[in-house]
Amino acid sequence: MRTKVILALGAIGLPLLLRNLYVIMFLVPDDLEQGPVYRIFYYHLPAFLVAMCGYITAMAASVLYLVKRDQKYDTIAVAATETALAFAAVNLITGMIWGRISWGIWWAWDARLTWALISWLVYFGYLMLRNAIDDPTERAKNTAVYSIFASASVAVTWKAIEWWRTQHPGPVLSIRTGGVQRIDPAMENMLYINTLALLLLGAIFLLVRLRQEEVQREIDGLRRYAHALN
Amino acid sequence: MDERNITFMFYGLAVAWGLLALYAVLLGLRERNLTKQLDTLKRMIEEKK
Amino acid sequence: MTALRHAAAIAAKDLRSEFRTKESINSTLSFSVVILLLFSFAFDPSPDMIAEFGGGLLWIVFAFAGALIVNRSFARELPNDCIDVLVSSPASGASLFLGKAVACFVLLFGIECICLPVFGVFYNVTWWRSLWELLGVLALGTWAMACVGTFFSALTVNLRLRELMLPMLMYPILIPALLSVMMLTNTLLTGQAMPSDFGVWLRLLIGFNIMFTTLSVYLAETILVR
Repeated sequence: MRTKVILALGAIGLPLLLRNLYVIMFLVPDDLEQGPVYRIFYYHLPAFLVAMCGYITAMAASVLYLVKRDQKYDTIAVAATETALAFAAVNLITGMIWGRISWGIWWAWDARLTWALISWLVYFGYLMLRNAIDDPTERAKNTAVYSIFASASVAVTWKAIEWWRTQHPGPVLSIRTGGVQRIDPAMENMLYINTLALLLLGAIFLLVRLRQEEVQREIDGLRRYAHALN
Repeated sequence: MDERNITFMFYGLAVAWGLLALYAVLLGLRERNLTKQLDTLKRMIEEKK
Repeated sequence: MTALRHAAAIAAKDLRSEFRTKESINSTLSFSVVILLLFSFAFDPSPDMIAEFGGGLLWIVFAFAGALIVNRSFARELPNDCIDVLVSSPASGASLFLGKAVACFVLLFGIECICLPVFGVFYNVTWWRSLWELLGVLALGTWAMACVGTFFSALTVNLRLRELMLPMLMYPILIPALLSVMMLTNTLLTGQAMPSDFGVWLRLLIGFNIMFTTLSVYLAETILVR
């Protein structure tokens, strides 16, 4: 059943991604000040949004695991965190490349960049912790607790860093500026469509990773069974 | 200046696709590893029975 | 009230054992002084430079010292399965955590108070101009580190690479607190006039402390019980 969902998402998502790439490279108008390099933005922002969805899913799954102690929530948490990290990496590195041209520097210690880097490190710690604990129940429990701490810290860090620095461009999507049109509607629509495409891709990654986690548990169970048969 | 602009645009788009493709490849490798382990284990259990 | 009594008993036990052997106090203190010394090689700080990042420098030293202290906190219970004894005692996980966090706080705060004069001597800083405010801010920052650090010490106590994983997990989570306390310490250390955002950082630090103390106390039982 899940395989069918993965294939269906792939059937919609991959052509959409390819079509988007074509549109982004050729059909969307150039930015007046920045030139063609701004097109990186069509991946930079959607990747961030998908990563945020992943972080929030991971936090919800961790809380649910601690409440219900059902292994499937732990599986969702790790799959969501890994997927979120992949997209957050895309966000960080595309941001650096874009910044190199727009601002002239590879990195700046401004609010959002710093926050993005810290969040990445915090959630990477989650994966490190997972690798370090062998017993599945201990691992699920301890990493769920860590994930809650991580989410709380990341939320507070956002406010802290925002007070510390701000150099990053302000919000441009009309949903954030309260209806005021800051960028070309064609560009804005393209952003939303690419967000959708990347979300579909993210969902595929999540479901595949989920299935792999379950296969891993099956393997562990069979291994114990095989040893018992001796 | 404009040429550098377009070059970096390609770098940026390449990085976006490249990282996501890399993650997909990592998932695929893990899948292959897991399937191999599963098959070996199942065979081992069959032989023991 | 029994919970607090249990926590006090555990804090007293840890502090007593530490003051008798002095193993981690001595090593942490020497380590902090060495780091302060190394920093002096990295740059030759003028008074303006110290006014700019003295607080940050000091807190990097304290952060390293803190990692050593909190690591010891639960690691000292590993031999002879003492940790199982503690967990199966009538003291709840929350009391156990709180007691150890308070012990770490006292040790760390003591080390910081000793490091301040050393810092003053090495870098020619008159650090006692806003003494009580400075100590208050140090206490807040130290509690953040002790609280989160002790919690992570409990989380990582059974791991192979404990000494590596503890700082690696702890520091990113502590960033809001460290950032705030660095900003605050910087101002107070050199007796500068308080900038307009002083209150903001103070509120952030206090909010961080409240949030993470609550989280830690609430979740301590979960991670300690097998």
